[in-house]
Amino acid sequence: MKTTSIMRIGALLGAASLALTACGGSDSGSGDDDGPITIGVSLPLTGDFAEPGKGVQRGYEAWAADVNDAGGLLGRKVELKILDDQSNADRVVADYESLIAQDEVDLVFGPFSTRLVVPSARVADEYGMLFVEPAGAAPEVFEQGFGNLFYAAPAVANDHYNYLAEWIEALPADQRPKTAAYAAMDDPFAMGTAYGLKEKMEAAGIETVVDEKYPPNTTDFSSIAAKIEASNADMIVGGTQYQDAVNLIVALQQLDYQPKLAAFSTAPTNPEFPEAIGDKTEGILSPTGYTEQADVPTNKEFVESYTERNGNPPGEDEANAYTTGQVVAAAVEAVGCAEQGECQQKLIDWLHENEVDTVVGPLSWDADGRPQGAHMIQQWVGGEIKIVLPEDVKEADIIYPKPAW
Amino acid sequence: MDGSLLFQSLVLGILLGGLYALLAAGLTLYFGIMRVVMIAHSAFLILAAYLAWWFHRETGIDPLLSLFVTVPLFFAVGVLMQRLLVARLRPVTLTMMSVLLTFAIALTIEGLLGFVFSGTQRRIQLGYSGESIEVFGAHVAVVKLITFGLAAASLAALYVIMKYTKFGQSLRATIQHKEAAQLVGIKTDRVAGYGFGLGLATAAIGGTALSLDATIYPSLHWHWIGPLMAIIVVGGLGSIPGAAIAAMVLGIGQSLLQIPMGTTWAQTIFYVALFATLMLRPQGFFGGRLAQRF
Repeated sequence: MKTTSIMRIGALLGAASLALTACGGSDSGSGDDDGPITIGVSLPLTGDFAEPGKGVQRGYEAWAADVNDAGGLLGRKVELKILDDQSNADRVVADYESLIAQDEVDLVFGPFSTRLVVPSARVADEYGMLFVEPAGAAPEVFEQGFGNLFYAAPAVANDHYNYLAEWIEALPADQRPKTAAYAAMDDPFAMGTAYGLKEKMEAAGIETVVDEKYPPNTTDFSSIAAKIEASNADMIVGGTQYQDAVNLIVALQQLDYQPKLAAFSTAPTNPEFPEAIGDKTEGILSPTGYTEQADVPTNKEFVESYTERNGNPPGEDEANAYTTGQVVAAAVEAVGCAEQGECQQKLIDWLHENEVDTVVGPLSWDADGRPQGAHMIQQWVGGEIKIVLPEDVKEADIIYPKPAW
Repeated sequence: MDGSLLFQSLVLGILLGGLYALLAAGLTLYFGIMRVVMIAHSAFLILAAYLAWWFHRETGIDPLLSLFVTVPLFFAVGVLMQRLLVARLRPVTLTMMSVLLTFAIALTIEGLLGFVFSGTQRRIQLGYSGESIEVFGAHVAVVKLITFGLAAASLAALYVIMKYTKFGQSLRATIQHKEAAQLVGIKTDRVAGYGFGLGLATAAIGGTALSLDATIYPSLHWHWIGPLMAIIVVGGLGSIPGAAIAAMVLGIGQSLLQIPMGTTWAQTIFYVALFATLMLRPQGFFGGRLAQRF
């Protein structure tokens, strides 16, 4: 009996001291204006999206380091508070709730992937926070009526292939592909890219002969490949992430299917891609929102400082994350505040009315946060991935029809 | 429906079924010997695939040769795991606690793989990755043929061991009736340890086979364990021939069903079969008198 009461008192004391330190912590975090600007982020650092999630983390950290080296934002240092949501939509909601309500961060940045962006944007919306995100490109992100959301990349998923669609439509009738096969992961972003092109191809009279949708956990693509091979479609379009594209391409090669045109989203721009496919990459097309060579303001500095810190140049995930930082920073500098409350609405209003220069080019948004650009089209040419469309920035001529793989 | 597509899908289904059969054989073995539900089986599978990939990257030698290291290694790990961890669980709650234990092992392996090799998705690039042989109009990929060959050879070896060696007889006796086996002088503890090692050795072979024709990443094992668990229940828990037959039937079924139903619905065949088995024939469709006792 005695021991339990002593323990109870001990526990009470412990709890009280914890509460005290917690109070002390939050006081110094949000109260005064001279302290650092804290930015809350939840990222999938483990689980299904761990790889791109870590890319986004590197991008955010590169941005914060660059900003702090240059003296900070509004003369204050920036400080990132990054939580791991384990690629889980419930966790991401809880994370942003606690970042905004408990930690009282001054600003938030978005997580990775549409599936996590939508629930977290809703939380930010409820608190009236500006929500700039690096990775939710699918149509439904912009159909939720969020007034606070901005996608920090050149184009939404459905517009990724716009330049390629225009190019195909402009081909002489006898050279144009007549049939097309589509295979898309059951994922808002991946389907968006493939079906954006599919709509335009069908309007141009190119018949859809295969339309396969597969769940994200699919690892065996031989049956899908068999269907595509049996249809003998002139072109194959993959709405893909990474492993699905690689497995599908190898499965198609194993069946000796030789299309005139092959386009896959995301995977071909991944540095691992040539290691996985070997010397059979020639002619594979992919849309991309970023290349390190892009000649736009701030990109050169970004590539240099990033490469110096990390030992390798940034990829698209890193660039989009960095862009997110640039977009928010531009608004903060222009409006002159960075805290919760009225300031957030001012930041949102400013971004709706202005264009921001970023490492992926100048960005502006419509009322739902859709960026108003299109993606460049890259192609594997002579063992390297090069921009082939649009004409004015191309590094190589597009190869068509695609050589055998 | 196109006849050649049907034939091609049938061929692909048989090749897939072979791999499933090998992987499920190990899983059902653990259950037969020790009533252990081995969630970590597919994690070891991915571990073996990573070792094959790493071996190939470091040496440039064909990843199949990594088998000479991984098979004995996994056998030893299996024996140690059984003796040091599984055998210490209380017999009364063994089956349930083994789920918890092996789940923890699976998470540990996944975490270590991510830590050591990062989450980057890897694939072994071989000169013959995209090659295929044409058989009556169907393309048979060389890597899939090798995988199937490995699976068939390992299953045959497993059958010979179980049927014709003294160890195999002790193992089967342990599976059938542990107390009776002890009465006739079989050291069931030691036999169970070796049996566990044998199961893990099949994971080494399966993982190496998998690495030839798959893109691997640390969390991939979760995609494998579900179908494999379904297979061993349909086949009758503890029955290796049952697991092999169920794997073949479900593998071919999945491949053929993809033509009319698409990938998403074709995947459900494993679970539909699982429900059907539990409702109609809970002891499994092939062999498996053992499961009746649960």
